[in-house]
Amino acid sequence: MTRYLRLLRLFFRAELQYELEYRLNFVLEIVETAVVTATSVGAVLILFSYTTVLNGWDLGAMLVLLGCFYLVQGFGEFALQPSFEKFLENVRLGTLDFALLKPASPQFQVTLRYFRVAQLAQMALGAVVVAVGLSRIPAIGLAEAIGFPIALICGFVLIYALLVALSTFAFWFVRVDNLMALYWSFMDAGRFPVDVYPGWLRVTLSSAVPIGVAVTVPAQVIAGRLDPLGLGFLILGTIAAFILASRFWRIGLRSYTGASA
Amino acid sequence: MIRTYRALLVAQLQAASQYRVQVLLWMLFSVIRPVIFLAAWVAVANAQGGQIGTYDVRDFAAYYICLSLVSCLTASWNAYEFEYEVRFGRLSPKLLRPLHPIHYAVVENLVAKLTQIVPLSIVLVFISITFDARFRTTPAHVLLFVPSVMLAAALSFLSGWVLATTAFWTTRVHSVSTFWDRAAFIFAGQIAPLALLPGPLQAISLALPFGYVLGVPAEILRGGVSPSTALLLMAGQAIWLAIFFVAFQRVWRAGVRQYSGVGA
Repeated sequence: MTRYLRLLRLFFRAELQYELEYRLNFVLEIVETAVVTATSVGAVLILFSYTTVLNGWDLGAMLVLLGCFYLVQGFGEFALQPSFEKFLENVRLGTLDFALLKPASPQFQVTLRYFRVAQLAQMALGAVVVAVGLSRIPAIGLAEAIGFPIALICGFVLIYALLVALSTFAFWFVRVDNLMALYWSFMDAGRFPVDVYPGWLRVTLSSAVPIGVAVTVPAQVIAGRLDPLGLGFLILGTIAAFILASRFWRIGLRSYTGASA
Repeated sequence: MIRTYRALLVAQLQAASQYRVQVLLWMLFSVIRPVIFLAAWVAVANAQGGQIGTYDVRDFAAYYICLSLVSCLTASWNAYEFEYEVRFGRLSPKLLRPLHPIHYAVVENLVAKLTQIVPLSIVLVFISITFDARFRTTPAHVLLFVPSVMLAAALSFLSGWVLATTAFWTTRVHSVSTFWDRAAFIFAGQIAPLALLPGPLQAISLALPFGYVLGVPAEILRGGVSPSTALLLMAGQAIWLAIFFVAFQRVWRAGVRQYSGVGA
């Protein structure tokens, strides 16, 4: 375990050094993130200029939700998207061999190898938006304060598990980048509470594409709107999703053949 | 010219028919965001007793269905590809051909829309039944919509090319198009119908080109504006199209002069 943490720190440092070589690019990426977040907050403010409550979510809770959206999406773009993009490329080119030959878990090496450090800014901005939203919510109990990070981590892991499962198809079909692009665009739906969507879409967003759960549930927890039972289900579901996805990935890996070999 | 276009059209259609699944996926991109904001506005309208300004729940549905159709028909993505063409020097062979590179892009763009329109219509019919959309469209609106959406598509395409040509000077077109997209997110009628944008935002969206690409044609197709207002808005579209046409010619000429192929 400590070995893996050390590896993770090493990967992160390498990526940070790499990105700092392109300083202007780094700064521009952060500015872009700030513009994106600001315009999204603007969109919520426009909606709330016509109402004080949206399906039971007031402006404070809604901002918390939007903040969670950027925390989760930022996590995806910071820690997951870069590695999964490289993974698909490696499968196509047959260069996945190099990762498989190294003495560590292949899944770990493949899926957590690359980072886009500038996207940490997106998570930070998400946290700021959450804080602004919280300042409008009267009081936060101890249970909420503990439950929130747990729910958020569950959200991260759920997104990770789904990406692992989706990317496994690359072992058989090779070109699945469109599938991934579709997934990232579905992510956009997380900016509103999952209960505003009509039935068929809500079911898709909470089961097939768990973005609805990953964003909505943490926001519900901190706003004091979720019971312990719901949180318990989330934790169990997350663990199950992680185990199933990892197992699926290992089955897929058996079909991998180096293209150049 | 017509023969050239016919040949390009056939070639692009054949190329597109190889990527059938991709067509379906790209088609969904123009549906996802309108449906997201439609759902949000339905929730807002329901909280306010079913009516926001002149829009009720069924009007919102009609607006966002029209918006989805318009965003498919006006999509342009050259700003994203052009950066690579310039950076990798792939533009060089295209510049040597007797045909301006923009014509290849025009045909590619048209073919993509032709292939998407049928599956998109099916999805939109399904959505309009789910949300019980009410269109106020009259035959006059349909007649006005056709030229209006063509103006919008041309405007979106040309403004995309003007953005793309900034690649001649900077290799970070991505940042430029992010800022452009976010302005469009606010002002083009995506987060709200133009009529519901509060105070100065509405005036800004009609002073800038953004509203004319998405919001205006969508509102015309829905029948949300009277035919005389529609004509006025279309004049705005024409003015912006003319501005971008002139800008494109200037920027392109200056840019090509500045361009030097890498690795050539």
